[in-house]
Amino acid sequence: MSFDADVAVVGGGLGGLSAAISAAKEGLSVVLLERGAYSGSKNVSGGRIYVHSLLKLIPDALERAPLERPITRETYEVRCGDRRVTFTFQKRNRDSFSVLRAKLDDWLSHEAEAAGVLTSFDTQVTGARREGGGITVETNRGEFKVPLVIEADGVTAPTSRYLGIRRLTPEQFMVGVKEVVATKPELPEDEGEAKVVLGLTAGLKGGGFLYTNRESVSIGFTVKVESVQEKLVKTSELIEDYRESLGIEGEVLEYSAHLIPYMGYRGLPPLYAPNLMVVGDAAGMLISDGFVIRGMDLAIGSGTIAGQVAAKLREMNNFTRTDIYQSQLEDSFVMRDIKAAWKSFKGLSNPRFYEVYPQVICDVLDSMFSVGDRRLLKVAQERLRKEGLGLTSLARDLLWFT
Amino acid sequence: MNLLKRLGLNKYEVGESHIRVNVEICRSCESKPCIAVCPAGTYEAQPDGTIVAHYERCLECGAALVACPYGAIAFKWPEKGISYRYG
Repeated sequence: MSFDADVAVVGGGLGGLSAAISAAKEGLSVVLLERGAYSGSKNVSGGRIYVHSLLKLIPDALERAPLERPITRETYEVRCGDRRVTFTFQKRNRDSFSVLRAKLDDWLSHEAEAAGVLTSFDTQVTGARREGGGITVETNRGEFKVPLVIEADGVTAPTSRYLGIRRLTPEQFMVGVKEVVATKPELPEDEGEAKVVLGLTAGLKGGGFLYTNRESVSIGFTVKVESVQEKLVKTSELIEDYRESLGIEGEVLEYSAHLIPYMGYRGLPPLYAPNLMVVGDAAGMLISDGFVIRGMDLAIGSGTIAGQVAAKLREMNNFTRTDIYQSQLEDSFVMRDIKAAWKSFKGLSNPRFYEVYPQVICDVLDSMFSVGDRRLLKVAQERLRKEGLGLTSLARDLLWFT
Repeated sequence: MNLLKRLGLNKYEVGESHIRVNVEICRSCESKPCIAVCPAGTYEAQPDGTIVAHYERCLECGAALVACPYGAIAFKWPEKGISYRYG
């Protein structure tokens, strides 16, 4: 049977483009199929990339990529009604940057074209089936027959679903809602801020975010889908109050939303099948451990590895041995870091972090900054007792993050 | 800014509906979680207990694929739809 290319990459986001670039650099013929009119047109991210894996793929990316600001300020804010606790950690560095995906992904797609990738935009994959020792990808522009598919079609993994290896359930996802607001951050040009806000969405499992861009800010929140289904709070109505509470004024430039994979190491979907490797969001790759939130660097890392494995499989002339991809992932930062984050990931699912502790922190500080009985441990203990908790149960909840 | 104005900021190319709702299921659904989950306000309850899907509002977040616990929503990605300019 004759094939149309060595590999078809489904999806032209960061994962798919990285896979395509890395496979093309290895000399494979690569066709990349993207539903949007340009890369990034269907992508939304909170807005921050840790650049280490991008720099492996494109060593001079810091000079050329359309990055917004280096994140040099990490702010946490805990809210309880109109009371707030805020702390900021500052460190000058260039490890992570705020980004706007419509710019970043579009730039990377031109890198891919320069590397020899055949990109086909406005191309929607409508089905996939196994045939003739490979996979036939069905699209609105006809069929592509390939011995290998790299699936980078995003968080809802349609290709895996077409091939019958994946089912979606609400507990696997968060929904993120975002606004980009035109406002010049009051920061030096070479500094940027990332803010996490807890206690924002009363009772909902999730939190708010803010990232400063060059000439705008990205603000929004993420909440677990099952939590919304339970509490029936409209996600479409939370963002305006949030923007006002942040005191941000300026023209709203865009309103966007996206699902976020939230599965953790032990909840990951199948990462490969014969003739198929799954990367990035489609593979459920996300790290959220209470300190960092990472997805884009994992997409680029897993995509890069998938492209390299594709070359190896062609050399072996055996495209069924995609299990090699899984073992290479396990040996890389991608799976090592996802695995290491597993405990914190579980710890964060504790409802007390959303329903109880923000109130406790505010109440304890309220007492400490008032005239009266002001011994910290005693105040904390008494406040926790009202919730039926003690200092030991607090310590136990925090141990998940050690 | 209300929801429809916010959605109006975005660039859409609207084609045929990519969402089908089995409204018979909706009639017996009291909580209608799809309305709460969808950030685009796509799902609107009618007086007779059914749901109308304003598919042209869709932000393509994908939540519709898991929003209905009773399997009443059939969602496919649209061929055209939204083009984010910031993302």
